[in-house]
Amino acid sequence: MSTVICDCLSPQEQRVHDQIEGKEDRYRKTHSRVFSLLERFEGQKPRIDIERALYFTQSMRETEGQPLVLRWAKALMHIARNITVYVQEDQLLLGRAGCDGRYGILYPELDGDFLDIAVRDLPTRATSPATITPEDAKRVIEEIAPYWKGKTYHEALNAALPPEIHKLTYDDPLGLISRFIVNETSSFRSSIQWVHDYEKILKRGFNDIKKEAQEKLDALDPLSAKDYCEKRPFLEAVVIVCDAIVLWAKRHASLAREMAAIEFNPQRKAELSRMAEIADRVPGEPARDFYDACQSQWFTQMFSRLEQKTGTTISNGRMDQYFYPYYQKGIEDGSLTEETAIELLECMWVGMAEFIDMYISPTGGAFNEGYAHWEAVTVGGQTPDGRDATNDLTYLILKSKREFPLHYPDLAARIHSRAPERYLWDVAETIKFGSGFPKLINDEEVVPLYVSKGATFEEALDYAVSGCTEARMPNRDTYTSGGAYINFAAAVEMVLRNGRMKKYGDQLLGVETGNPRFFKTWKEFWDAYVQQHMLFMKAAFIQQHIIINLRARHFAQPMGSAMHDLCMKHCIDLHQPQIPEGINFGYFEYMGLGTVVDSLAAVKKLVFEEKKLTMDELLRAIDANFEGYEDIKALLRTAPCYGNNDPYADEIGRAIDKISVEYGKNYSMKDLGIHNDVRYVPFTSHVPFGKVVSATPNGRTEWFPLSDGSSASHGADVNGPTAVMLSNYSTKNMGMRDRAARMLNIKFTPKCLEGEQGTEKLVAFIRTFCDLKLWHVQFNVIRKDTLLAAQKDPQKYRNLIVRIAGYSAYFVDLSPDLQNDLIARTEHGAL
Amino acid sequence: MSSAADRRHTGLVFNIQKYSVHDGPGIRTIVFLKGCPLSCRWCSNPESQSNQTELAYNKGRCLGLDKCVRCPAVCVRNALTRRQDATLDIERTRCQGCHRPCVDACPAQALVAYGKNMSVDDVLRTVEQDAAFYNRSGGGMTLSGGEPLYQGDFTLALLQEAKRRRLKTAMETSGMAQPETLRQARVLLDDILFDLKHMDSAVHEANTGAPNARILENFRILAEEFPDLRLLARTPVIPGFNDNEEAIAAIAAFLKPYEQVRYELLPYHRLGTQKYVFLDRSCSMGDVTLDKTIMSRVESTARDILKERFRSP
Repeated sequence: MSTVICDCLSPQEQRVHDQIEGKEDRYRKTHSRVFSLLERFEGQKPRIDIERALYFTQSMRETEGQPLVLRWAKALMHIARNITVYVQEDQLLLGRAGCDGRYGILYPELDGDFLDIAVRDLPTRATSPATITPEDAKRVIEEIAPYWKGKTYHEALNAALPPEIHKLTYDDPLGLISRFIVNETSSFRSSIQWVHDYEKILKRGFNDIKKEAQEKLDALDPLSAKDYCEKRPFLEAVVIVCDAIVLWAKRHASLAREMAAIEFNPQRKAELSRMAEIADRVPGEPARDFYDACQSQWFTQMFSRLEQKTGTTISNGRMDQYFYPYYQKGIEDGSLTEETAIELLECMWVGMAEFIDMYISPTGGAFNEGYAHWEAVTVGGQTPDGRDATNDLTYLILKSKREFPLHYPDLAARIHSRAPERYLWDVAETIKFGSGFPKLINDEEVVPLYVSKGATFEEALDYAVSGCTEARMPNRDTYTSGGAYINFAAAVEMVLRNGRMKKYGDQLLGVETGNPRFFKTWKEFWDAYVQQHMLFMKAAFIQQHIIINLRARHFAQPMGSAMHDLCMKHCIDLHQPQIPEGINFGYFEYMGLGTVVDSLAAVKKLVFEEKKLTMDELLRAIDANFEGYEDIKALLRTAPCYGNNDPYADEIGRAIDKISVEYGKNYSMKDLGIHNDVRYVPFTSHVPFGKVVSATPNGRTEWFPLSDGSSASHGADVNGPTAVMLSNYSTKNMGMRDRAARMLNIKFTPKCLEGEQGTEKLVAFIRTFCDLKLWHVQFNVIRKDTLLAAQKDPQKYRNLIVRIAGYSAYFVDLSPDLQNDLIARTEHGAL
Repeated sequence: MSSAADRRHTGLVFNIQKYSVHDGPGIRTIVFLKGCPLSCRWCSNPESQSNQTELAYNKGRCLGLDKCVRCPAVCVRNALTRRQDATLDIERTRCQGCHRPCVDACPAQALVAYGKNMSVDDVLRTVEQDAAFYNRSGGGMTLSGGEPLYQGDFTLALLQEAKRRRLKTAMETSGMAQPETLRQARVLLDDILFDLKHMDSAVHEANTGAPNARILENFRILAEEFPDLRLLARTPVIPGFNDNEEAIAAIAAFLKPYEQVRYELLPYHRLGTQKYVFLDRSCSMGDVTLDKTIMSRVESTARDILKERFRSP
């Protein structure tokens, strides 16, 4: 037999090694501006900037009693007038939401009720810490937090949840600590992931949107109460936010002009003058060229961060599409070169990397470790007409990702059945770089699903990747409420403990399905699981019913709404529960698929079929966390596992998926008026969810992380990456539409993708992923010993980027827990 | 033979490995067949050599007989006893021909049976699971071993049925086989990966247990009678055996006239040594490793002679 082994590093690992040895980065020379921008903040602990929170609060204090959307617009205007504006050394783009360096901003409308406590703990907490000056901390505690006590959405939700739902949601009366059973996610962000229609801003500018709103105002029926009470405040709010963003941009223009006047370096002087001239024009007016377009888009996304906390931060949409006409024109008339285009894009990447999506609540922090944000830039895919959409800019963005490997923005490549070979090769080469980019989203799954849920082909074909794995149609999508994350591994535990959990003692949380020792058949066990499962589903849907209606009274987003066709047409804020003609894509999270499938398979096979183990032995071993029961623990691990293309396990997975999908089918539209579909995307939350679940029948010890997304349990996938994919395929109910994203992580060793041949095989692997109609896949190309070395010496490896649950982060930013989790995952080497 | 008859044919398989990317074109599944006429000193699959099933014991996985006594409890031949350190002692002479209930009883997968009787149907059912990946990558099934032609009838039936199902097929062979079997297999194969270890027959025999005349003759048959066959010659570079420029140059010179043949060198690795321990055998290679500079030197030797027909893996 022939086995090929040699030392082989991914280019990213090579880069880290070179840096340790003091060699200059090979791309530094051609990207010197952005390298020097990057070096100023790489590895910095983020700082908290309180200005946004301060001005937002000041304004809200003044406008009480007015329509919410109008209050929000006025607050944005107050921020636009007063917030400090910056012109950063060497930067070519203007606009940031806070101070120099790595920074985060506060949204007290979300967490003002416990902001004072959180600010005290923030610098020292284990997950995603941040610094704040004592003066700022004092202002938060004395000026900002007190106003919000009793007013936040979170408090209202906590009060509104009925006791039997509350106890599955929160672990304390104030609702500050999650139970991690049926976890709500609507209170740590104003909206789930979102994509703006940036193209509209580039083509029309905010001045034109303001004009549209003004005309609509003038055309309102003067005798209509509805027009007066609902449409008028919305339209006035649109006018105000359009003015606000233009004012904010022009303040940057003035500052840049002042700095140009005193600048000695002639090159920088010219740059500053040009920046001032552009900021005077966009985003109010349409973009004329590529530089205008970049600046206009950048102002828009940064100001929208001041407007609200969009979950995972606002995404960038189909950048290779809406920038392309400007790029093409510049290249054709000679006013733009590839190098200047890349430099502008990378100035934007730097700005994205500096902004930290700060989660103040402990639950939010645990959900999004490593300062996660997914401002997904989408490339590739199809045109609204169904043709391949790749262009020169697609390739330029991929190239930038390889040469300047910052972990922001998150890059998403759309794949379809006719994707050109060149595109897939470039995508594969970029993946091989080893920083985890790009993640892949499959048109062959997303487009037909969205059409089946009511989109037109044109809209569905033009989707943009949003956040971690979602797909948005920016003028048709209208749903913004965070959904429940449901810990189904806890449902397994409740079957074993008659509705209770070890972590929560004697408290009855689930259904009393009886003592499992008396179950005579597998069917009895399965039925007990289904009962617990259904209780969780019901709780999640009740939560969501309350959330949808409650959020509308606490959140508005006049700027986001101004960019949305349907909101403008119907004069209604995007956060309202129902926007006419809109499609509501909601989802709930199935947490721990691998853990649950493997546990159920072990019980079915070993206890009921082969009788190698009695239920009593199993329960005693689990109670002891397998201590003294090592043989039972080992035995449990011999049962069929999800992720191996084993029909035994996968059939259980499909049955579980089916009861989840069917619940959505029966109750989503009918009860909630939305699509509330099953999704398998955990971010990093499979770690905290695991911390409440005791030992499980798959041999997992207590408090260990659950399996993540639709990936296999840690180390359980022993048949290689093709089997992981096929298990995913086999556990889907393809005949039903009530499903959302599935996230799949696959880790390769660099050896397995080495050389031209390796690239070719990765391309074939990606094409097969497309054929199998899986929603998403992303790759880690890394060696285990590199991760271990990084864990031992974080300082040396501070720029090592790894792929975790849907995003890339600096490995050293992760908690030890999550680092271990990553290391424990199976490496698919090719031996 | 008919399809039905081929499908029922059984053989001894010791592993089926998915997602292989280094043994033939595209994404492949390797079927490892037991039994080999050679016994190379460096063999990285010692479990492939015997044509019988074998019991392997991985001490590292064993929970210890102080914690678990499931295996001796089911052993009817009293072949399993406890050593002082609570690990297992296997009396292998008593173990021959047993149906191995100990393997099924072991919860830790410390006891494993190398070799499983499988029908052509069983094998292809597993192989075809990855069909979606073969379609896109030009991959398929690769037979390996052992020496796949050692179980000649089974291999031919497997290849015959694979071809009926339009699978792409490849075979790794030591070349130590009946010429007629090789000819029959060849027409059912898209690719052959042929090991050439040493041109000096005496050295060859001393290290593999057999002279090389039959192997070289078989190579000539393939190369001359079937000039359209995709034939890849491979040499494992083994310390103290052929890790020198002369040995590699001789092989490359032998290959030179056959213009369709490509050539690869595979550096020696020690990953198989663990499996000798599992079988209570010792590997005569000891701790020796392959010198990287020697490896690159012999690579350039091969490249000098065969130019672009030589490819480094």
